[in-house]
Amino acid sequence: MKKRGLFVCVLVVCLLVPLSVFGAGSKEADAGKPVTLNLLMEDVPDTQIIKDMLPEFEAKTGIKVNFEIVQYTDMHTKLITQFLAPTSTYDVIEVDNYWAGEFPAAGWLEPLDEYVKKDNFDMSVYVPAMMEMVGYYKDKLYMIPMYNYTMALMYRNDVFTDKALHDKYRKQFGKDFAPPVSLDEYVEQCIFVQENTNMYGSAMQGGKGDPIAMEWSNYFFALGGRIYDDNWKATINGPIALKAIELYKKNIAQGAPAGATSYTLEDSLRMMSAGEAFSFISYNWMLAQFQDEKVSKLKDKVQLVPVPGESGLAGGWGWAIAANTPKKDAAWEFIKWVESPAVVKARALAGGAPTRYDVLRDAEVLAKYPYYSEVEKILEKARPVPEFEYSSQMVEMLGRELSLIVSSGKDPQVALAQLEKDFNELAKKANLQK
Amino acid sequence: MSFQARYRMIGYQFLIPTFLVLLLVVAMPLLFSLVLSMFRYTFLSPRLNEFVGFSNYASVVHDQYFWNSVKVTFLFVLMVVPLEFFIGYGIALMLSRPEIRFKSIFYFILTIPMVMSPVAVGLIWRMLLHPELGVVNYLLGKLGFGYVNWFGDERLALFTVTLVDVWQQVSFMVLLLLSGITSLPKEPFESATIDGANWLQTLLFVKTPLLMPIITVALLQRVITSFKTYDLVYILTSGGPGVSTDLISYNIYRTTFMGLDLSVASAVSYMLLIVILAITVVIFRSTMKGNE
Repeated sequence: MKKRGLFVCVLVVCLLVPLSVFGAGSKEADAGKPVTLNLLMEDVPDTQIIKDMLPEFEAKTGIKVNFEIVQYTDMHTKLITQFLAPTSTYDVIEVDNYWAGEFPAAGWLEPLDEYVKKDNFDMSVYVPAMMEMVGYYKDKLYMIPMYNYTMALMYRNDVFTDKALHDKYRKQFGKDFAPPVSLDEYVEQCIFVQENTNMYGSAMQGGKGDPIAMEWSNYFFALGGRIYDDNWKATINGPIALKAIELYKKNIAQGAPAGATSYTLEDSLRMMSAGEAFSFISYNWMLAQFQDEKVSKLKDKVQLVPVPGESGLAGGWGWAIAANTPKKDAAWEFIKWVESPAVVKARALAGGAPTRYDVLRDAEVLAKYPYYSEVEKILEKARPVPEFEYSSQMVEMLGRELSLIVSSGKDPQVALAQLEKDFNELAKKANLQK
Repeated sequence: MSFQARYRMIGYQFLIPTFLVLLLVVAMPLLFSLVLSMFRYTFLSPRLNEFVGFSNYASVVHDQYFWNSVKVTFLFVLMVVPLEFFIGYGIALMLSRPEIRFKSIFYFILTIPMVMSPVAVGLIWRMLLHPELGVVNYLLGKLGFGYVNWFGDERLALFTVTLVDVWQQVSFMVLLLLSGITSLPKEPFESATIDGANWLQTLLFVKTPLLMPIITVALLQRVITSFKTYDLVYILTSGGPGVSTDLISYNIYRTTFMGLDLSVASAVSYMLLIVILAITVVIFRSTMKGNE
């Protein structure tokens, strides 16, 4: 009997010991051993730009950096599972503004105030709107703004110089065919171009979820709409949202490709790059792609302006340090390097999307990308989605209802009433609304 | 202790490692998620300090989008499994004919979609079926067919997802059924030929009944995995347009990683588990009963 008990014990130990060994997180960089930082990065141009510059950082600090590059849609899931583990695989975190409320609220990010103070890191150069969006959470610094993807209107300026088209537009609408000054006029022009040229009016991104929610938010914000008021009461159900839906529906039905109801940002970019569309409301960093003659035939043919109306949708990423990484000092070294003026300028010259005034106003940067002066104004004016614990879910709900409206004919008033109810519940769940 | 009792005891001792591993990797997670489904447990507050009983289950059944996901999932399974079975059985029957040459080439081609990751399959088909820039619509246009909005038309999107799934998974059906066909005894077929049975009669009354255990396994495997389909929808449609391709597994994913609510996600998972178990029992019993 004793023997049998011993046999069982040995078996249990044999099973559990390897598990405990594999389960143990990696210890803080052992003294003398080279530190390797792991970063989960989105597959966007700026990631490749930074990756190409990594040897400089590695030579300077002796810290190795490993990038795991994935699509945006995979990032949230991968990050959450790491945050819940005893030790995170990822040391430096790229935080999208959707998560800028969720991650600090959950305690998954390390506050950076002490690091900034210790190294006298200059925060005054950052655009205040970017600091609010991907910097502070409840007055504590958790992120350093890394990259902006604030949305803007981009259109083909050669379309406006077409005399025959200009005359036809003047005859039809009794005014000059010129860049739009209001959202109504923009939609009107998209439909006009689609009807009178072999181009689509707008390469819209009407795919369910994040794509349609982001694009429509530009319409809503341009008309002066707000998702929540100052007391976190949902204000989406009203005449402004109805008008934004009406214009969006009209444009996607008459001024966009039929397949736009399933488009993501990649599809829209592809359509625009292929010269198939007159315009799109999208991320300002895309303009740098069109200026690259190696991949685009649209060099100097695309103009970037703010979304016509009150404001567009702000978006951006911030650098942060995982609260459960043992390599916090090395992670801060990386952030300091990647956000140093010289590196940010080099990134901007290579097509990155800066968040700092000194780089946005740099003569060399402006000579290469003259539209950065416009980007600066757009950054200051644009408005992000409300940032709180459930921003991702809020965007998902918004995207679902908008997709139902444009694809399934759901009554916009019913959809807005549903959103108002859902958004109020989210605010209550986050203890923001009493 | 008698020799037989000792012999049995040794057998049990050899079973212990397997039992412990199963306990660790199957029973414990199942039990943990059952517990989670009865508490308020979120990623933001990962503590089991608020017991809520069945209220998570109640909130699920009161959610209109949950019932839509149930409907869409059943529709998907009902389309995908029969399509894969009939196409797979047809190809398996053709490939089992002795006059077919270069079989290894067919096997190689058939294996390719099966070993590909669903994410890669989704990305490839998303490009091919791109409504404006895709090759498929271009070729259809050349052949005189009209424009097809594969992913953007809510009446068509689920069918498109089904076709992509069939493309990837039919190989599994072919290979499984083919292995079954090639291992069948020859005598019943010789008897059927002597009795004057034609090709169709042999197929319906000899080959198919003899293959029933393999067919049961193939159908069960595909029913279970179809209910759990998530990655294709994630890549191809994100559940849209509207909620037309919002499969239940995708619903669970959203509840977990966007809603951050592991309790409600566990409740939905348990409901899905019960449905899959019930269907498995029904299929198993009906096919095995027929076989007996």
